[in-house]
Amino acid sequence: MMNWHLAPYFFVSGITNGSIYALIALGFCLIQNATGLVNFAQGEFVMLGAMMVFTFYHIIGLPMPVAFILAVAAVALIGVALERGPIRHSRNRDILTLVMITVGASISIRGASMMVWGKNAHIYPAFGGDSPVFILNAAVLPQSLWIMGLTLVVLVLLYLFFHRTLLGKAVRAVADNPHGAVLIGISVRRLVALAFGLSGAMGAMAGILITPITSMSYDAGLMLGLKGFAAGILGGSGSTLGAVVGGLLLGVLESFGAGLVSSAYKDAIAFLILLLILFVKPAGLFGSVRVRRL
Amino acid sequence: MSGCAGCDPERNPDPVRCGLRQFFISRISKITMSLHVAPPRNWKALLLTAAILWAIPLAVRNDYFLLLFNVMALNALVVLGLNLLIASTGQVSLGHAAFYGLGAYLSAIASTTLQWPLPLAFLAALLCVALIAFLLAIPTLRLEGNYLVMATLGFNIIVTILFTQMEEFTGGPSGFPGIPRLSLGPLSISTDRHFYYFIWTLFLILFAFTLNLTDSRVGRALLAIHERDLTSETLGIPTYRYKVTTFVLSALYAALAGFCYAHYVTFISPKTFDILYSVQVLTMVVVGGMGSIWGGLAGTVVLTSLPELLHRFEDLHVLLYGLILMGVLIFSPQGLVPALLSLLQRARPDSEAAGSGNEALLVERALESLRSGRTLNLRCAPAGTGTASSGPEGAGGLLDIRNVSLGFGGLQALNEVGFQLNSCQVVALIGPNGAGKTTLLNVISGLLKPDMGQVVLDGRDMVGMPPHRVAECGVGRTFQAVQIYQHFSVLENLLLGYHVEGGAGFLSAGLRTPSERREERRLRERAMDLLASFDLSDKASLPVMQLTLLEQKLLEMARSLAFSPRVLLLDEPVGGLNPKESEVLVGYITLLRRNGMGIILVEHDMNVVMRIADRIEVLQHGCLIASGTPREVQQNPKVITAYLGVRKS
Repeated sequence: MMNWHLAPYFFVSGITNGSIYALIALGFCLIQNATGLVNFAQGEFVMLGAMMVFTFYHIIGLPMPVAFILAVAAVALIGVALERGPIRHSRNRDILTLVMITVGASISIRGASMMVWGKNAHIYPAFGGDSPVFILNAAVLPQSLWIMGLTLVVLVLLYLFFHRTLLGKAVRAVADNPHGAVLIGISVRRLVALAFGLSGAMGAMAGILITPITSMSYDAGLMLGLKGFAAGILGGSGSTLGAVVGGLLLGVLESFGAGLVSSAYKDAIAFLILLLILFVKPAGLFGSVRVRRL
Repeated sequence: MSGCAGCDPERNPDPVRCGLRQFFISRISKITMSLHVAPPRNWKALLLTAAILWAIPLAVRNDYFLLLFNVMALNALVVLGLNLLIASTGQVSLGHAAFYGLGAYLSAIASTTLQWPLPLAFLAALLCVALIAFLLAIPTLRLEGNYLVMATLGFNIIVTILFTQMEEFTGGPSGFPGIPRLSLGPLSISTDRHFYYFIWTLFLILFAFTLNLTDSRVGRALLAIHERDLTSETLGIPTYRYKVTTFVLSALYAALAGFCYAHYVTFISPKTFDILYSVQVLTMVVVGGMGSIWGGLAGTVVLTSLPELLHRFEDLHVLLYGLILMGVLIFSPQGLVPALLSLLQRARPDSEAAGSGNEALLVERALESLRSGRTLNLRCAPAGTGTASSGPEGAGGLLDIRNVSLGFGGLQALNEVGFQLNSCQVVALIGPNGAGKTTLLNVISGLLKPDMGQVVLDGRDMVGMPPHRVAECGVGRTFQAVQIYQHFSVLENLLLGYHVEGGAGFLSAGLRTPSERREERRLRERAMDLLASFDLSDKASLPVMQLTLLEQKLLEMARSLAFSPRVLLLDEPVGGLNPKESEVLVGYITLLRRNGMGIILVEHDMNVVMRIADRIEVLQHGCLIASGTPREVQQNPKVITAYLGVRKS
């Protein structure tokens, strides 16, 4: 079963999927840094983004760019609503309770989506047509290029936001020391809402971009979300750089694993890596170990 | 209006109705109280549950409903295991569907494909699951935070994929048919009715087992781990081992349920064991109240029946589960059943209003009895006995700290610190804030591992030992901020200190064997004796939050004495106390010294330090800058500089 001659193809598809995982992992990372929570609903953001584009584009008939922007904005709003509603109003501020609230939110969104969009998978046309472009030996779908390109744009924008704007610096300050941030007059609440909104937008973008290749159904969010999480752990929990590197690495590993070993177990590979990294180096590639205090 | 407590006729014009309400509330809360405590006191509630369960098939003629109850029992088993895990580790598993499925599939393969006899298939399945759970628990339970949720979730997904993909073993997505029914010799469980009796009996046995377990020495330790795991370590509780054991046990409950399911339905498919089932059982746990064993049963009953009642809206189920999970967590995070209980208890007139105001009197009395030469009921090793094997230097004391260094990144918290402690001696460790005093105590008690150096107790180097082993070696400690368990009564808090003294494990605790009961009685007697020594006997059953700070500190000290340590580490024992109160504590410390205890005292109150310390070690920026008797240290110029600064000339 050695398909080494397909290596360039595996690599390209790995980077494509990896970019998606990186986007999802960044969403996790943003919320974790702002609140210390793992947001289980991240995967549902991904699914919702794709479903909304499907509705705006196919049902309502809006042009694709408009549908894209509307969908991203809508999911960002849903992210903010998740924070403003269930998470903010929880009586118990215990992390475990809050995390499980996001589990509940994830299941609810999934159930609601099943009723809205049905149980079938949906798809819409790729952004740049279906005829592949040849780069070196690999046939690359234009959608792959869109994915890599847009991911890169998002990364650059995020970098500029965090390092060049006051608001972005405030988010970093909150991540570093929430109490200190409050003391110097930063509204942590507003920034937490912002983090949820941003991570919703990023999740939605991931979903919108991958759907022309894989299609999307109401229950696909969980798997994508978990892979994004696995990518985040691989790169190092809470590290932005780690999220990107972890995502790309996971995508490539998964692609090669599926191609060289067996595609039937493609989905298992990510979780095997997740368990392995928890076993060997729980802090991940770029993470730091936290010191516990009594 | 808060209950009927202030039931004045002006506000409530109907005294009869109010009286009736009070009557019912007290009745209900009595019943619920009996649900709250574990056997042997609540065997009545258990018996009542058993009787109801026994009566149901007699009342129900339609076998379809028995099917529902059978599914309920299977769910209840999984929920029971999950609850045990949450109660003890405070962590959540989203992978119990996988253990449930593994139990079912492994036994199905063994008994059908391999044609093994049923008991052998049963054993093989459970052993395999135990091993898998153990391997999964080892890396993940070492970590703090949400890792277990994710690791178990990932595990669940892998297992579901394996069930679907390994077609030659599992039959793939179309399922595994033809599994033999449960039977032992001539006895065979072939109808829903038979299975009903079988599964609920099995459940009740395990239910009683779990209730016993939670109400034992081990169970107390498990709850303590949930509340403060580091403190529990310093009390000699092997937290990590207990967490792993609980996880494996919890997985076994699920596997057992899976085994029963497979041989009841005789056909299994991967869909039954996907992640959604994990979420369902978790929702049952949450609704019933996380960590509440009885609540879990209630949650299972409600949530297993609910979909049946809403049979027509099958598409709604997923949404409904999500909304229920979220709603309960937001509005009643302790769960519906415990919320109901606490509502009832709040409605009860508060009879135990603490009679405050006489604290000063109590302090006075304690002082009086300390002055009149009281003795402590301790089993401290008398000076000289344990030290026969002291280090090669011969002159080495009871505790010998040698060249301990520890750095955090760029900060050198401890730099080649070394001194000795003998029995019957109080060594005070003083120094400005941030000098490394508490860090040194943490190194001694094993919470921190030094980069270099040794901590030798009786010729034995303790560096590298986990804190619970250090405690077993004979090192007790108290903390700067009092570390008592708020969910426990005074007596239970103290009993945690006796953990090391007991030997009963999970199995004997769950079965409540005679020897376990004897041991528990013995520990309780000793705990009561010790409480008496600290004048806390009459507060034994109070929640700890009703104690004054002095009493809390005394309780913490008593707890660290429970396992008869030879070295006691006291971290700012009189901090926050008034002079009279600190007098009481000083009294106890001198009493302990007279009993042969070696004490390291970290304290800022110089009056106390100068009065009771035999030697003083002064730390600054992680270095020992002076040591000697109180008088010597007082006149040491370095110490004066460290504390008061240098005069500008």
